[in-house]
Amino acid sequence: MRDHLDVLRTGDPVAEGTTRYGRGLASIPTQALLSVILPIVTAVIALVVWEILVTRSGIAESILPPPTAVLSKLINFFELILTHGIPTTLETFVAFGISIPLGIVLAAIMVYSRPINQALYANLIFFQLIPKIALAPLFIVWLGIGAEARIAFSIFICFFPILISTVTGLQAVDRDMLRLCQSVQASDWQILFHIRFPYSLPFIFAGMKVAVTLAIIGVVVGEFIASTKGLGYLILFASSRQQTDLGLAAITVLCGVGLSFYGLVVLGEIVMKKFYEIQ
Amino acid sequence: MAQNIKIDSQSSLGFDQDAYIVCRQVHKVYNANGKPLEAVRSVDFSVGDGEFVSLLGPSGCGKSTLLMMIGGLESITDGEIFAGGKPVTKPRREFGMMFQDPTLLPWKSALDNVMFPIDMMRLPRSRYLDRALELLETIGLGGFEKSKPRELSGGMRQRVAICRALISDPRVLLMDEPFSALDAMTRDEMNILLLGLWQTYKKTAIFVTHSIREAVLLSDRVLVMCDRPSTIISDTKIPFSRPRDIRLGETHEFNEICAMLLGKITAARTNGDGEPPGEIVVGGAQS
Repeated sequence: MRDHLDVLRTGDPVAEGTTRYGRGLASIPTQALLSVILPIVTAVIALVVWEILVTRSGIAESILPPPTAVLSKLINFFELILTHGIPTTLETFVAFGISIPLGIVLAAIMVYSRPINQALYANLIFFQLIPKIALAPLFIVWLGIGAEARIAFSIFICFFPILISTVTGLQAVDRDMLRLCQSVQASDWQILFHIRFPYSLPFIFAGMKVAVTLAIIGVVVGEFIASTKGLGYLILFASSRQQTDLGLAAITVLCGVGLSFYGLVVLGEIVMKKFYEIQ
Repeated sequence: MAQNIKIDSQSSLGFDQDAYIVCRQVHKVYNANGKPLEAVRSVDFSVGDGEFVSLLGPSGCGKSTLLMMIGGLESITDGEIFAGGKPVTKPRREFGMMFQDPTLLPWKSALDNVMFPIDMMRLPRSRYLDRALELLETIGLGGFEKSKPRELSGGMRQRVAICRALISDPRVLLMDEPFSALDAMTRDEMNILLLGLWQTYKKTAIFVTHSIREAVLLSDRVLVMCDRPSTIISDTKIPFSRPRDIRLGETHEFNEICAMLLGKITAARTNGDGEPPGEIVVGGAQS
């Protein structure tokens, strides 16, 4: 038995395996490169086709401007777009930042209190089915046209996915794992922090990925309805004056904001998975 | 008061005087979608202090449920379970548990997994650290303290789980098919290891298994449990002296006992309602 273990310790079969594998399948780096290059090439081709079709067919720029026109607008009006981009970004950040603890804490309460769970769960699912966007004007009525209304509305539509997936995650812990905790007389708090919470992190991040896009939607819809700044306002303003190129430039920046937020969540997920050794 | 009555009645029922764990008319009925489902029916047995007893039976015969009730992790529908003279109502520190799955935390090192009960019970880490390292060394995991479960084989993970069950020096070890998820060779290795550990630490142990050979090799007594009804149908003393080793499995006497136990299980099952038998392993503990 000892010998067997020593072999395991010194032989390092894992490292050997990788080199052999790597040599045999030399095309793997090429594969990885292709998975990055191919989508970019596709996007570039689409943009080029768009550019050619629009310029050749003589569609009015106010209907559909070519990508180059959008790009030049983006460069020329960068300062203006940035002024509108900042409040949108900040409001999204605040709304998303509040939604995460709100969703997680409410989920923990629901998992630990059966009556609260029974009282809330069915109603929450029902709420999920409401087209929540329809309630946006009411938030303006209740909270005015300031940032509070947009942030509140954004939280309202984006914390549900976090809540629901956290509830699922907290309940998905292996039964024997929970029995082990009970047998070593772990308290409910200890089980929550040491077991349930780490095990539900993949679920929480899955919910956050959905929530982060909804958070931006919430803020932009709020800006559409009543606002004097923000990218949503800028898009609405540009469209009403048939400045489609400016509208598209603002949308481009909005995409960038959305991607950055999504990237942050993915980054957080990678760090978490590394720390908790979750594959 | 009730406790005294129970202890008095024990002797009249012929229970071992120095029994540490006593089950008296234990019943367990589950509520399965509104219908009562009987998991354990009138189970009576006792386990002596320092005795190694196996609960042997096919899958789904209620032996794990019974073990969980003894460990205070499942409620008892009717009857009583005593450990050290006191009724078991909730988990106790004197119980060390092992499950089919090692149930290690993937983000903790082997050492921290062994220390998990100490951390949860809020006992001083420094007092148990040496013991943890010693246990890992004894069990053949010296040098793997810092390894994460991902880096360990299935057998090594289950060894970490053994150390974790022993870290707080429990009086009773409750094991729920701890080796049934391992391959046959690793399982033999773990059986030898457990024999050695039991020789050293002399814990009262209840071991749930569906392998006849494993039960006979490890135990002082084998209790056969059957389904429909889920109750104990036989109590067999295993006469072999200790220390034992794996070669015991090659002796004629050993195989006779195994054949006798298999006969009892088969007889009980054919007397039942003729449902197809569950999983029962006849081989397994052979090298």
